Amino acid sequence: MTNLLEIRVPDVGNVAEIDVVEVLIQPGDIVALEQTVATLETDKASMDLPSSVSGTIQQVHIKPGDKVSEGTLIATVLVNEGGMSIPEPISTVAIVVETPAIQQEAKPAEVSAQSEPTPKQASETLQPSDSKAIKAHASPSVRLFARELGVNVSKINMGSGRKGRILKDDVKNFVKQALTDGITTKGAGIPSIPAVDFSPFGDTEILKLSKIKRLTGQNLTRVWLNLPLVTYHEEADITEMEAFRNTLNGEKEKGEIKITGLMFIIKALVAAMQQFPNFNASLSADGESLILKKYFNIGIAVDTPNGLVVPVLRNVNNKNISELAIELAEKSEKARLGKLLPNDMQGGCMTISSLGGIGGTAFTPIVNAPEVAILGVTRAKIQPVWNGKEFLPRLMLPLDLTYDHRVIDGAEGARFMATVKQNLSDIRRLLL
Amino acid sequence: MNEAVLHAEVVVLGGGPGGYSAAFRAADLGKQVVLIERFPVLGGVCLNVGCIPSKALLHAAQIIHEADEFAEHGVTFDKPTINIDKIRAWKESITKSLNTGLAGLVKQRKVTLIQGLGKFTSANTVDVETAEGVKTIRFDQAIIAAGSRPTKIPVFPHDDPRLWDSTDALQLTEIPKKLLIVGGGIIGLEMATVYHAMGSEISIVELMDQIIPGCDKDLVTPLARRIKKQYKNIWLETRVTSIEARQEGLKVSLEGKNSPESELFDAVLVAVGRKPNGLMIGAELAGINVNEQGFILVDKQQRTNVNHIFAIGDIVGNPMLAHKAVHEGKVAAEVTAGHKAQFDALTIPSVAYTDPEIAWMGLTENQAKQEGIEYDKASFPWAASGRSLCLGRKEGLTKILCEKETGKLLGAGIVGTNAGELISEAVLALEMGADAEDISLTIHPHPTLAETFGFAAEMITGTITDLYIKK
Repeated sequence: MTNLLEIRVPDVGNVAEIDVVEVLIQPGDIVALEQTVATLETDKASMDLPSSVSGTIQQVHIKPGDKVSEGTLIATVLVNEGGMSIPEPISTVAIVVETPAIQQEAKPAEVSAQSEPTPKQASETLQPSDSKAIKAHASPSVRLFARELGVNVSKINMGSGRKGRILKDDVKNFVKQALTDGITTKGAGIPSIPAVDFSPFGDTEILKLSKIKRLTGQNLTRVWLNLPLVTYHEEADITEMEAFRNTLNGEKEKGEIKITGLMFIIKALVAAMQQFPNFNASLSADGESLILKKYFNIGIAVDTPNGLVVPVLRNVNNKNISELAIELAEKSEKARLGKLLPNDMQGGCMTISSLGGIGGTAFTPIVNAPEVAILGVTRAKIQPVWNGKEFLPRLMLPLDLTYDHRVIDGAEGARFMATVKQNLSDIRRLLL
Repeated sequence: MNEAVLHAEVVVLGGGPGGYSAAFRAADLGKQVVLIERFPVLGGVCLNVGCIPSKALLHAAQIIHEADEFAEHGVTFDKPTINIDKIRAWKESITKSLNTGLAGLVKQRKVTLIQGLGKFTSANTVDVETAEGVKTIRFDQAIIAAGSRPTKIPVFPHDDPRLWDSTDALQLTEIPKKLLIVGGGIIGLEMATVYHAMGSEISIVELMDQIIPGCDKDLVTPLARRIKKQYKNIWLETRVTSIEARQEGLKVSLEGKNSPESELFDAVLVAVGRKPNGLMIGAELAGINVNEQGFILVDKQQRTNVNHIFAIGDIVGNPMLAHKAVHEGKVAAEVTAGHKAQFDALTIPSVAYTDPEIAWMGLTENQAKQEGIEYDKASFPWAASGRSLCLGRKEGLTKILCEKETGKLLGAGIVGTNAGELISEAVLALEMGADAEDISLTIHPHPTLAETFGFAAEMITGTITDLYIKK
């Protein structure tokens, strides 16, 4: 005895339109119970649709590109004697969620408040009431607030209140973060890098990234995705500057902090910023105005065993080179010991990233947003420079300026760098 | 056939504290609500035959005891004359005044109140047997708050008026000479307190090895010591095998380590727990899952397996306490109005209004040991509390349990005068995530019983000066 049965789209939650991505059956195929017959996709998830019966496909009613919804006829199946249809297809739908995990976790209350629980789900979650304590350090009103926003408070690791108490603001920030993460990984349409199994190629080892590295990574990705960056290369003649610096250091007592070239670069940079206020600025969040700063704080990228940190030297325009040298030495030491406070790393106007101690001829640093520009420095070397009559050996310092092109135009960038260069080549200009 | 078909956006089945709270909250959120109550007055067990009348009688008992016990401190009263008719009338006047208050709240909120026994006939209809015949109510959403009833033991002669349940005991129709209380739980012990004060000779029989089974032993001990002197017998690990109704009294047969084989009593109160009413409301016709015991299964939003039907209070599980039901009732009402409410209270406090009172909340020591949870414990003896001594009492105890690493409050138990009032501070501290340091740095007024909670916290932080604790 045979029987004609139907495979239909099961209850997949409140989704009106589901795209058919792939159809894996054709008339005449023999399908087994729970064998995948088609792949469906919503904007949130893709799912393999299992057959609710076993038998021979009589007719297929969908094709790739169709839009289907709950109850749409997928196929009719000729079922042989003994073939059983299963009454609860929902329980076998394997849903592969593609959205970031954080977003999914952020919606439990909404799901339980709106979706129709099937009897199967219900029997698993229903129980005579009892009070199970939760671990999160949040007061009842904050827990209520979190539920209203669909946030699982236990996913918020650390609150900003006393002793880590989770406050309403922490819940808001959690939502903001979840939304931002959603935008950068999904919303902007940027595909993520697929996971690769390296084992066929040889042995591997998992090394956890340090916290600094992970945070820096997030920040750099955000800048990379949000800012149109341009890098401009320049060279400054620092022969005279170096001669002066060596003289100065020669006069120093043993144990006194020596003046490095970086101090002059900081001074030369700030002098240029005073002349070009657009470089000492940040773009407003709506992108419609420029916030000009009346103070001159310079961040210095410091390489530490744990990763990159950027201590900030404040009010550089009011300090002399010796003061700056001492301050930077202290802050660099603190950075290497991991003792910098958040305050030490805030309020920068422009950053300098110097690789001069290591080498290099040029590189393209990434702006430390919301700053609008960063100055990269690599190793100075003696080069032949044509003075119109002859080649002279001059000590040339390569400089790389990366800027946010929404704020700085190309010509403006070039003029700014010409000024920095002049300031370095003839440090008497710093007196002006 | 019945013609009267009424429509309700939300129907609430049962007008106890959980039910009326749910009805009022739903009405306040704009729902058109029908409230079904089988008795002519609202308030359920709690107001009519539970919490409230028992507290009135307990207050009378407390006055009798305090007057008597103060003789040794220099104030002597004559032996009290007890007019039980007057006490009963006073008790009833309290209940009535609250009944009237509730009736007023029903009117003010424009909730439709229907008196009669309601049962589901489908997933969208309830039939109510009213005095004017059967009324059918069609509803969009329902909240079941049909409560519980005292557990009856089948072999006992329940028709005999001398065999009481808690409702009978609260009627205060007579003061039996010899009263046996079957069940040494909260209800049994509260009624023992009342009838002892009124002059009955009390015996208690309890199946387990302590009164108030489940409660930490150190909290029960002060009460056990006191009632051991007051009551005739407390038979632990003892079962009642039969009760035989005789002309001269109820002959109770016992089986236990210290009990006689049988004894004659003028009345027996059976207080061995309560049974949920889940199997009495036609739940099967609505497709609602009810377990064998009669509990309706719900999720954290109080939702049953039927999406638009909710259940709250005694009928969804232990502990069967009015304050739990009220909280759940509000959650259910808010969910019917589309809010994302959820029952996520960290603890439901328990109180035994005995003398001394016992109250506890959060983690108990029993539970911590069972589940292998590590804790720091501090127990402040009220013998060192000036306020307690001024009340002529020194047996009290305030105990707190804190997380070992962080000092975060995990649980608290108090035994002593007004423990039921004192426990609220601990509940708030727990919900707010306070630790021992927070509590000890909070100024408690002196001299109060409440400051013993602060002292217990100081014992954890090591800052206590009211005791000397050797390091």
